[in-house]
Amino acid sequence: MEKPEKLLIDGKRLDGRAPDELRPLKIKAGVLERADGSAYVELGNNKVFAAVYGPREMHPRHDQQPDSAVLRCRYSMAPFSVEDRKRPGPDRRSMEISKVTREALEPVLFLELYPRSVIDVFIEVLQADAGTRTAGINAAAVALADAGVPMRDLVSSVAVGKIDGTIILDLMKEEDQFGTTDMPVAIIPRKKVVTLLQMDGHFTKEEFKQALDLAFKGCEKIYEVQRQALKEKYAIKEGE
Amino acid sequence: MDEIISCVKRDYIIDLVKQGKRVDGRALDQMREAVVEKGLIKTANGSAKVKLGKTQVLVGVKLMHAEPFPDTPESGVLIVNAELLPLASPTFEPGPPRVEAIELARVIDRGIRESDAIDLDKLGIKSGEDVWSVFIDIDVLDHDGGLIDAAALASIAALTDVKPPKDEDWKLPEFPLSKLPVAVTVAKIDDRLVVDPCLDEERVMDARLTITTIEDGSICAIQKGGRGYFTREELEQAYDLASSKAMELREKLR
Amino acid sequence: MIHVQNREIVVPGQLIAEGNYRHLEGSYREGNKIYSAVVGLADVKGDRVRVIPLQGRYIPHVGDLVIGVVIDNHSSGWILDINSPYTANLFVSELVHRKVDLNKEDISKFLSIGDVVLASVKEVDEYMRVLLETPGRGMGKIKGGKLVEISPAKIPRVLGRKGSMLKVIESKTGCTLAVGQNGRIIIWGKDPERVNLAVEAILMIEREAHTSGLTDRVSLMLEKQREGGI
Repeated sequence: MEKPEKLLIDGKRLDGRAPDELRPLKIKAGVLERADGSAYVELGNNKVFAAVYGPREMHPRHDQQPDSAVLRCRYSMAPFSVEDRKRPGPDRRSMEISKVTREALEPVLFLELYPRSVIDVFIEVLQADAGTRTAGINAAAVALADAGVPMRDLVSSVAVGKIDGTIILDLMKEEDQFGTTDMPVAIIPRKKVVTLLQMDGHFTKEEFKQALDLAFKGCEKIYEVQRQALKEKYAIKEGE
Repeated sequence: MDEIISCVKRDYIIDLVKQGKRVDGRALDQMREAVVEKGLIKTANGSAKVKLGKTQVLVGVKLMHAEPFPDTPESGVLIVNAELLPLASPTFEPGPPRVEAIELARVIDRGIRESDAIDLDKLGIKSGEDVWSVFIDIDVLDHDGGLIDAAALASIAALTDVKPPKDEDWKLPEFPLSKLPVAVTVAKIDDRLVVDPCLDEERVMDARLTITTIEDGSICAIQKGGRGYFTREELEQAYDLASSKAMELREKLR
Repeated sequence: MIHVQNREIVVPGQLIAEGNYRHLEGSYREGNKIYSAVVGLADVKGDRVRVIPLQGRYIPHVGDLVIGVVIDNHSSGWILDINSPYTANLFVSELVHRKVDLNKEDISKFLSIGDVVLASVKEVDEYMRVLLETPGRGMGKIKGGKLVEISPAKIPRVLGRKGSMLKVIESKTGCTLAVGQNGRIIIWGKDPERVNLAVEAILMIEREAHTSGLTDRVSLMLEKQREGGI
């Protein structure tokens, strides 16, 4: 990919979006037969599945918590999900993402209801275009709710960043690669608290605050789509 | 860990097969409905998703530069890899590929390689140094049985979807695919043959036979699995089933 | 103050009520507000608020009727999968209702791996260790029948109010059903077509558990199907 001269032209981004605009977002709940809960998310060119299994028996046994369930997350990218072929299996990047994803989701779960058990969240990225971890968290939150796991709220996630000096919402690949800053954020929308925050690049304090505001706004929109996806699964279709 | 099937269910499935019936209401020689969707993944050169009943498999094909094997310095390389994602079944666990995943990939590989479906000789770039490598990556998304058939169909569908890479070393007008190998699995349950076993049937079957055929009905790969056995007559019957069902499935590739 | 309509589908985090309400299953309180904890149907009666979940694993409670599958044995009994995060223990004395001298009797004649057992939950401790017993008639090892598994959250609808739905299925199909709280159902019937009809009814209830007027629709479906050939 060649670096474009400008990422922002006349206030519009390369794909025509305004700086505070999300990519098209589609979420569907209950898409996999075998999983206890599942969701499919398309965010721009990202295509991500999440599946939840459990609470189920924890193996190995010595990983059991006597007074609560354990949340396990596994983020993985399909070998064909990126321009170069990604070697299958976990690498350092995906292991870190798995960890921060778990930490982003844990605060909303009533894990204490299921001593000694495990809740497994599997995230599979089929097509990647920046923001896969945030798309994965959005999918995982819906999949957890779809599995009937008791939770205080959903978790919504989006990346914010900076290109050509402007704070933007929901970076796509070119902006992630050639922009100044990338900051994925996850929040619990009802309580307006942050459960995932990472950043690389450069922000002034003002920019940081502005970026957080933008992330909260973006998450509100995502939250609404997540809630709709869960309700839609049980919507009575016409003619039934 | 394999799933333990309850005796009640086992007896029920076997009993049905004895009467020429199946748990999901199909005839013994009836496939589940196969739905093929192509071109879903932009980051792949070719891709396809196959739904076979409730089983879902997604295959992405990537064309990459690679070093040739020393004995075929001018030929392209074919690599098939399968991932039994833990997302797809409560019994799949993260970790190195299990023998089932390896078998799955190798059966698909043989079907494509042995039928000469891809003309690998046309995929050389610079003798001994640089050739095109065709990576077929199989992602199993939802496992309700019949993974080999679903993955084989998705693989060949993804190959028909391959668009030439934007690369100055690519000289061919199109991807050199000349045949359409299709795998069909026949299971043996209580001495009866059933085509395309679903997961419950796979758990009670004595054995399975996967036969991969090309357009003219000739066979390019066979794989027997399971502890049971097949008689001579059963093998012929299985071939008749597999080749006729392959014809039906091949229609879905258009 | 109530913020939802009765029977409305709610999602985790959704505000259901504010003020002096008692909150039961599927909901939680923060300050004076009650929120939903699951995807389910809001159910408000008097001062009582709950959310009937539409999905979720089975969590054992004492007295529940469950259908287990034997997955392992030990010297004095068996381990059963009860379609839950927790396996259950069934001691041989609880199965055969007498003292068994483990040194003299080979208990493998009673149950083997894969056998299906109808039992009730005798005990659940704080570590979620589960003990089963088989005191009632028809409990113990199950012979024959067809095993169907649905989401445990939908079992209350299969039973219906005071067992009304179950009665409809049994009378219209002529089959006998054992319904486990853990999402497993056994159907016995002489005619496999009728057994399949009962299965169809159960799957219909699972699909449409969140809708009202379900008993009538199931009844209608069973009558129609019966006329249509059987």
